[in-house]
Amino acid sequence: MIELDGVTFTYAGEATPALQQLDLRIGAGELWAVLGPTGAGKSTLCSLLAGFIPHFYRGSLRGKVRVAGIDVPGSSLGEMSEHVGSVFQNPFNQVTGARYTVREEIGFGLENLGVPRPAMLERIERSLALTGLSELAERSPYALSGGQQQRLAIASILALRPKLMILDEPTSQLDPAGTGQVFTLLRDLVSAGETTVVVAEQRLEWVARAADRCLVLQSGTKAAEGTPSDVLSSPEAEGWGLCQSRFSRAARAAVAQGVTPLGRQLPHTLDQAVEYFR
Amino acid sequence: MGLLLAVAFAVPWWACYLTLGLLVLPLAALGRLFGPLTRTLWKLVLPFAVPILLIQGFFWGEGEVLFTLGPLSFYRLGLIFAAASIGRIAMLGGCFLLLSMTTRIDMLMRALVERGLPNQALYLVVTTLQLVPRFEAQAHRIQDAQRARGLETEGSIARRARALVPLIGPLLLASLMDVEERALALEARGFSRRGPRTSLVTLRDTPLQRWLRLALWLLAATLILYRLVSWITR
Repeated sequence: MIELDGVTFTYAGEATPALQQLDLRIGAGELWAVLGPTGAGKSTLCSLLAGFIPHFYRGSLRGKVRVAGIDVPGSSLGEMSEHVGSVFQNPFNQVTGARYTVREEIGFGLENLGVPRPAMLERIERSLALTGLSELAERSPYALSGGQQQRLAIASILALRPKLMILDEPTSQLDPAGTGQVFTLLRDLVSAGETTVVVAEQRLEWVARAADRCLVLQSGTKAAEGTPSDVLSSPEAEGWGLCQSRFSRAARAAVAQGVTPLGRQLPHTLDQAVEYFR
Repeated sequence: MGLLLAVAFAVPWWACYLTLGLLVLPLAALGRLFGPLTRTLWKLVLPFAVPILLIQGFFWGEGEVLFTLGPLSFYRLGLIFAAASIGRIAMLGGCFLLLSMTTRIDMLMRALVERGLPNQALYLVVTTLQLVPRFEAQAHRIQDAQRARGLETEGSIARRARALVPLIGPLLLASLMDVEERALALEARGFSRRGPRTSLVTLRDTPLQRWLRLALWLLAATLILYRLVSWITR
């Protein structure tokens, strides 16, 4: 689904590259989390995969970028939008403002892609059902909560049936309930084979719960790659700028005080913690 | 709107009151909009009506005097001329309000796009109207934050006007920052894609509506032509 070979990108007017010599392979039907501290290059990677780099943000791009079988630099945003869907941080800014109901808002992208009306209706209903918004279909998009608006943004992209969904910190402005809704939905979509997901995220507890694989970025380079357990349990995790979850902090304290033995896999979710301390 | 303006000035002034009384207001009542429409129309027309009445009435300067107020005389012809101008404004306002209160703007714009208006124009008009409340909410948020830091935003008109100055910068900056994400969100949904587009909304256009439209076009053209001919042959 994604092939990056030796990708280096420097924003116009900047001296330091935002991404450096990045190699990455992501297969279809996986949920990947991109982790790293602020300024690590997560948003730049998301923009690159969505085609906003180099078609919206200008700069110097080197290396090979293929997404969903498309050579990204040789493509256009219009073409990319048929294969790759993007969801951003602020749910409010993703409401187009051009439609009056949730149902019509989901239809906006389909209209742009020229999907015939009968197919459009079917896709809208399916997106509404998948995102749990069916009962809110006739409401104004502006009358939804933040979590509901973010689910609407996902539903709007989902209706386009993208091969790949890119989400750049989609839960940064949501409360814990809204965050839970979004991650549960993403996991369900990937498990149902609807799409492939790449999500830049800071909330490690949810990453551990939902992601298949993690990529850790540090100063624009790949610091680590692996399963959530491997990455988050790594002794180098704090050095990569990843904050430990409350569960792994408690487990480390337990090990330090000799309550639990050394060498066991650290917990990162509530379920894992229950099992660990049992 | 241009056609409506032309018609408003093509018909005799009393016909404006007739149109308002026999067409616009009954249609508004039929749509259960009589109260909202008349209230809005009143607020719309009053700021024009008062100065027109005063200026035309007192400064017409010839003909029968209706009453005097100190050194000023109020003329009958001035009153008639003012009534004509106010009637035209009221008819224009009434028609426009009836249209805006009974028609979803996106439907109207969709109809215009189907008649050749660029799709981008549809987006611009509809979002501008929808974004006004959002812009207002953002301004309130910034003002609340400024109030929390000690800026006085209430009190006399002068004080409130002064409080607007520090609001402009953050409001503009916040809006510009939003624009980037909004533009990307639109691109992600194929806004700049070339090729044919479809529409979820289907516009209902019955034969009766089409005939009525044609009749109204013909009526408007006849009225304008009649007015032009009477001016030329006068």
